[in-house]
Amino acid sequence: MSGKADVWQGTLALMVLKTLQTMGPLHGYGIARRIEQTSGDVLSLNYGTLYPALLKLEQEGYIASEWGISDNNRKAKYYRLTRAGHKQLAREARQWEQATGIIERFLCPREEPQ
Amino acid sequence: MRSLRAWFLRLGGLFNKEQKDRELSAELESHLQMHVEDKLRSGMSAEEARRDAMMKLGGVESTKENYRERRGLPLFETLLQDFRFGARMLRRNPGFTAVAVLTLGLGIGANTAIFSVVNAVLLRRLPYDNGDRLVIVQQQAPRAGFLDVPFSVPELTDYRSQNRSLDALVEYHNMAFILLGRAEPERVRTGVVSWNFFDVFGVKPLMGRSFRSDDEKPGAPAVLLLSYEYWIRSFGGDPTVIDKTFTMNDRLHTVIGVLPPLPQYPDENDVYMPTTACPFRSDPRMIANRQDRMMRAFGLRKPGMRVSQVEADLTGIVRNMQRAYPDIYPAAFDVGTRTVSLRDEMTHEARPTMLVLLGAAGFVLLIACANVANLNLARMVRRERELAVRTALGAGRMRLFRQLLTESFLLALAGGALGLLLAHNCLALLVKFVALFTSRAGEIRIDGTVLLFTLAVAVVTSLISGSAAALHTTATGATDLKEGSAQSTVGMGRRRLRDVLIVSQVAVSFLLLIGAGLMLRSFMNLQHVDPGFQPENVLTMRLNLNFTKYDNDDKRRAFFESLLDKLQGQPGVRSGAATMTFPLEGMQPMRNDFKIEGQTQSQAMPIGDFRVVSPGYFETLRIPISEGRDFTRGDRPGAPDVAIVNRSAARHFWGTQDPIGKRISTDNGKTWIQIVGVVGDVKQYGLNQDAADELYFPLANSPLLNGDLVVKTAVDPLSIARKVIEQIYEIDPNQPAARVRSLEQVRSDSIAAPRLTTDLLALFALLALAIAAAGIGGVMALAVSQRTHEIGVRMAIGALPHEILRMVLRRGLALTAIGVALGLFGALALTRILRGLLFEVTPTDPLTFMAVAAVLVLAALVACYLPARRAARVDPMVALRCE
Repeated sequence: MSGKADVWQGTLALMVLKTLQTMGPLHGYGIARRIEQTSGDVLSLNYGTLYPALLKLEQEGYIASEWGISDNNRKAKYYRLTRAGHKQLAREARQWEQATGIIERFLCPREEPQ
Repeated sequence: MRSLRAWFLRLGGLFNKEQKDRELSAELESHLQMHVEDKLRSGMSAEEARRDAMMKLGGVESTKENYRERRGLPLFETLLQDFRFGARMLRRNPGFTAVAVLTLGLGIGANTAIFSVVNAVLLRRLPYDNGDRLVIVQQQAPRAGFLDVPFSVPELTDYRSQNRSLDALVEYHNMAFILLGRAEPERVRTGVVSWNFFDVFGVKPLMGRSFRSDDEKPGAPAVLLLSYEYWIRSFGGDPTVIDKTFTMNDRLHTVIGVLPPLPQYPDENDVYMPTTACPFRSDPRMIANRQDRMMRAFGLRKPGMRVSQVEADLTGIVRNMQRAYPDIYPAAFDVGTRTVSLRDEMTHEARPTMLVLLGAAGFVLLIACANVANLNLARMVRRERELAVRTALGAGRMRLFRQLLTESFLLALAGGALGLLLAHNCLALLVKFVALFTSRAGEIRIDGTVLLFTLAVAVVTSLISGSAAALHTTATGATDLKEGSAQSTVGMGRRRLRDVLIVSQVAVSFLLLIGAGLMLRSFMNLQHVDPGFQPENVLTMRLNLNFTKYDNDDKRRAFFESLLDKLQGQPGVRSGAATMTFPLEGMQPMRNDFKIEGQTQSQAMPIGDFRVVSPGYFETLRIPISEGRDFTRGDRPGAPDVAIVNRSAARHFWGTQDPIGKRISTDNGKTWIQIVGVVGDVKQYGLNQDAADELYFPLANSPLLNGDLVVKTAVDPLSIARKVIEQIYEIDPNQPAARVRSLEQVRSDSIAAPRLTTDLLALFALLALAIAAAGIGGVMALAVSQRTHEIGVRMAIGALPHEILRMVLRRGLALTAIGVALGLFGALALTRILRGLLFEVTPTDPLTFMAVAAVLVLAALVACYLPARRAARVDPMVALRCE
């Protein structure tokens, strides 16, 4: 498994939300594949963990689901972002940027003028 | 918000599970197929693709399980499961369940009942709005033996004007007046109070208005407030009673209001009037006389003032009075004041008894818990296989522990429900019992606090009774599955635990039995006390003459003399007499000082209880006249003044001298009264009280306004009560008689409180004994059934049945003996708290201790006999074959 990163705790939800925003309504398998592709196949996602995460987001009202037909005529459950989900995504993205900004400044400090 | 929404959805997830499971399966299946198709497209074989998809998902079943956990509330679900399973287990064991629920129900019921009393009487605030600030003020002269001296009007004025610690000081006294204007003349108990008495207590009228300051002005129209109880009893709750007028004391009184249904303090009265309406209290001579003391006083503490500060403040006022009137407050009497909070005063009499009963009820519950714990342990033996299977199937220790505790919680809950039912049914009886101690008894009910208490007791009970079995079972681990034997051997540990439980049950039962035994002995002593009179066949009734009609001594004397004359000829009447009070009636003593001729003035004046009786009183009550003579009709004004003393007074004041012919004075030497007789001592104030020094004076010389009629009858005294009352009506049709009772009834009422306390304690102790005996018997029976094989072997190699019998009995008795020994130590330490409740029994009375030990051992012997006999009848062939 070396060379492949595991999904960090708590980031999976953010990834799901972002994926749904970019791609529009999508089924579970699609979301999983998309996350892996976006990461350039560096991330290794255990697909089994995706479904409880989707259920949690749905219970919290950030996404909604309904049954539909996939591209190749297969019945599948489609998830889409709700309005609350859009807001939540914006909020989490902002927090994430802040957090990474701070870490970045720690790791690569710019030279301060003396 | 979001998490709350999620929680509700998860709660919803507990329902309609099957459809949701189907949906999840479909979703995962479609996921897998899409995955497989992708892989097929990229050139994998079908089998490889399927395997890869499964791997990537991480197992269909575990994904489903993770999903389900997120969907519902797992902790809640297993709890529900535990409850359902527990209920099923208990249903399958109806015998065990019934015994356990009954045992716990009795234990919890006893505690709930007693707690409802403690809660109402000792814990809850007084029902008056200002309850916490109310204090009782008493004047005392401890060195003269006066602990609660009433107040005179000038004294009240001094306290009221000089104190700096009270917002208000109100007065109270009560009288029996005759109320006319209803069908029959009615004797009404009347509270005479300051106009702001009810405002100070914080009591608002149910209807109409309360007293106003105008009502207490001299010459104001007389007004009445009715007590709620009297309004219901005599007027059927008629609201039009307001503004009705009745005649009392020759004046018209207008009803202005009705009081709410609150406990009345200090006495139960029928009506209340302001002080100016009471003809005695408003008499100018009474108002002016500092030594005419009749009133009681209640104060409202200023906020922030402690009771002790109020007491100090008022004691300062007494010092001022002492300086101003040294004759009235002699230094030798050590006059002072005492201030107590009303709440303490109302409940201090009930407190020790209630706490003892609460303790006893607690002990009963403890025994019940130990018993159910033992039953649980015994049941675990039979459930070992089930628990082993569940452990093998992966149930964790915590999970099993929780399961077993849930079961005992269910038991305790059912026991609690039963207990509540029992307590509810006993409440009316308890109220009657507690009313003997405190006027707060009417407040007893099962309220939210009591329900919470019962629930808490049930929870604690389930922990105590269940954790022993649960801990033990899960700690040792049910590992005997492989043996596959129904007759698994019992670990030493569990047997020892059961023994410990039995020993503690015996020990606690011993404690309770000792408590009950001591109370019983004390009560028997009380009952065998010689009261100094014979209560058999004596009729008593209270006569409160209408003082406006009987306004001088001659009229009063004539009334009593003609009444006694009329009674003399009546069939069924042996003798009759009039008296100020009779023994055990519960009247406050009329204690006065007097002078003895020839004794020096330097000592403090002697003090005695003064009584006024007609001739024939001693004969009627069979009080022996040991020297001299009884009063006669000739002892009246004009003849020499005479008095009779009791033996105690004779010994006390004249020592070895003969008191007959000696003289005393009650008016500081102006007139002298000759002692003409000595009578026996009488238990005047209670069977447990020593006789006081008594001085009797003839009724003809100080005719009473309020007195009792006592009649010795040849038949059942109450059967001729009506005839006696008719004689009274013949003399005065407007003269009611009240409190018609037989003297035996009075005597029995006077010891009702200790009798009922004894009954309750005995009930608890017997309950404990029965539970403990059943426990011993049960444990021995279990031991026998588990040792059937061993017993069979013993008998096969020659043990005789009676040896087996003895072996089992010996074991049961050994446990009992240890329990009794431990209980003995506990009893020696604990019975001291009973001391205040006991009469002429020491808390370590050896006879009681021995008798109780014998009873316990006997009960244990009986309980062990059945299983022992079964053991002795074991057929060795059968016992050996069953292995």
